[in-house]
Amino acid sequence: MGKDPLQAYYWLFQGAFSPSAISETFVRATPLLLISIGLAVVFRAKVWNIGAEGQFYIGGMMTAIMGIMFKDLPAPLAFPVIVLIAGLGGAIWALIPAILKASYGINEVITTLMFNYVAIYLVSYLLHGPFRDPISMFPETETINPALWAPIAVQGTRIHVGVLLAFVIVVPLAYFFLKRSAFGLKLDILGSSPRVAEYANINTTHLIIQAMLISGFLAGLAGGFEVLGIQHKMRLELSPTTSPYGYTGIAVALLGYLNPLLIALTSFFLGGIINGSMTMHRMAQIPVGMAGIIQALIIIFILTGYFVEDKLSKKVMERLKL
Amino acid sequence: MITAEVILGLLYSSITLLTPLLLAGLAELLVERSGILNLSLEGTMLMGAFVAFMVAFYTGDLYYATLLASIAGAVLCLLFAILTITLALDQMVTGLALNLLTIGITSYLYRASFGWYVSPIPPHIQTTLQPIEIPVLSQILVIGKILFSHLPHTYAAFVLVFLTWWLLFKTEKGLKIRAIGEDPQTADYLGINVNLTRYALLILEGCIAGIAGSLLSIGYYNMFLDNMTQGRGYIAIALIILSRWNPLLLLGGAFLFSFIDALQLRIQAFNIPFLPYQFALMLPYLFTIVLLFVAGRKVKGPASLAKPFKKLR
Repeated sequence: MGKDPLQAYYWLFQGAFSPSAISETFVRATPLLLISIGLAVVFRAKVWNIGAEGQFYIGGMMTAIMGIMFKDLPAPLAFPVIVLIAGLGGAIWALIPAILKASYGINEVITTLMFNYVAIYLVSYLLHGPFRDPISMFPETETINPALWAPIAVQGTRIHVGVLLAFVIVVPLAYFFLKRSAFGLKLDILGSSPRVAEYANINTTHLIIQAMLISGFLAGLAGGFEVLGIQHKMRLELSPTTSPYGYTGIAVALLGYLNPLLIALTSFFLGGIINGSMTMHRMAQIPVGMAGIIQALIIIFILTGYFVEDKLSKKVMERLKL
Repeated sequence: MITAEVILGLLYSSITLLTPLLLAGLAELLVERSGILNLSLEGTMLMGAFVAFMVAFYTGDLYYATLLASIAGAVLCLLFAILTITLALDQMVTGLALNLLTIGITSYLYRASFGWYVSPIPPHIQTTLQPIEIPVLSQILVIGKILFSHLPHTYAAFVLVFLTWWLLFKTEKGLKIRAIGEDPQTADYLGINVNLTRYALLILEGCIAGIAGSLLSIGYYNMFLDNMTQGRGYIAIALIILSRWNPLLLLGGAFLFSFIDALQLRIQAFNIPFLPYQFALMLPYLFTIVLLFVAGRKVKGPASLAKPFKKLR
């Protein structure tokens, strides 16, 4: 494609991790972080929720609807209430595939993916129809009342309260839940051997549904943060088209070995790649899709050294002192 | 509004839409019978659609386009085979990762070739695959037009249904494939080469799924769109579950699904005021979920499906 590759990587890096770009990288990393921590919860139990994209969109849409219908919510209350509802929206979107998987053994990869398409078309309908801003040229809602926006946490940047919450509260909380609680241990046992889980008297039906609800909640929450913190309205392109957050989150979770602390790093890294590839596109005219390839290649490299099965079951055995 | 012509048109396009699903589904069915769950079927079809379009665009030759789509599909499935069979990686994770990879590669290369702003008219090819009317048979009243005026791929898919069924249930090879899928360890003791069989089936799947994907870009459309398979690979896998890994039932399932898909396209075209087109677009996906709920509960597949196999000796 005849472009100087070194120059291109220079812009990729500049756009990702230079001091002026780093705050935007945090902004990009936040939805990835929340989504992939949610995915880590289900992936640990070897339940393959690939529906985060749909759950993210439903969360975003719920947020915009709330923001438009309840314009006058008192400011300090508005943010927590709205993002909670966004999270619940995501969780409800994950509920049907969860029940189908847990109670009827229906393959969750297929159902969650199908629900992604249903979610996107539903949002598309709402944005073209009942919730379309009549003044805008694009299918999007009107801008939410600024009083309801997520407060900015670092002046002069777009880093809002949600970014802080994700990195400072959600990450350690998730780490504790997955690594130090009985719930996390149950997930690991189910993931390494459903048969052992049954011997250990674990109610796998409930466990799968709980894990899926948490995963959907976090994806919905990510949608809420994105709308209240960054976009301030619901748009069809809530996710970057060439590297949608919901699908990129799968990569982030796997790259981070399903460990919340590592996921904080990998989501920051991939957020940087998405951010930097836009700079690279602007400055060196290299297509944004490049970010997709870089991500995918990293996954393949990691995969070749990634023996989920062995690693997880060994750890479980250690913790059970077998 | 609902005339005989509409119904005939509906049946005709059902069979058209059925072809890629059936081709990909049959190939995946064989692979699953041997105990491998290849989610990268989706990516393989997308790769086929992309490669076919690029070759057709630059050479204008649909034959080479089909051939190279098939080879590209085979390469992708070979990669899947190396990762999951030789390196014994998790099949779900590998399949998902390869799908992300193909979406990335195809949309990147598409933009690298045609630039970022391709609208209003995206690059397209001049000629697409043309249906072949089977002499005599296509003259039969009503059925002739519906059944015997299709792309060669469609005829091949119908023949493959019976070939796959015969291979699986009536030949020694088929017995070996099923034995591997049920219990690879025992099959190995009996001297069946488990890994070689799985490799061969996966490469075959790549060839066929690549061609199935090429139908989208050089058969039904004359252009390539990002992620244009739109989940068809996953739907094919859902249909295999519904058919209980039986090629004959797969034909029925694929027809039922394609009928809903064709119906959905008609609903969009009719522009019914109280039914926005987005709801029509949702139909095939909702239908898949409902079908799985009604007929896919607690269905038992091949016993070793998606489990890595390690030789004990």
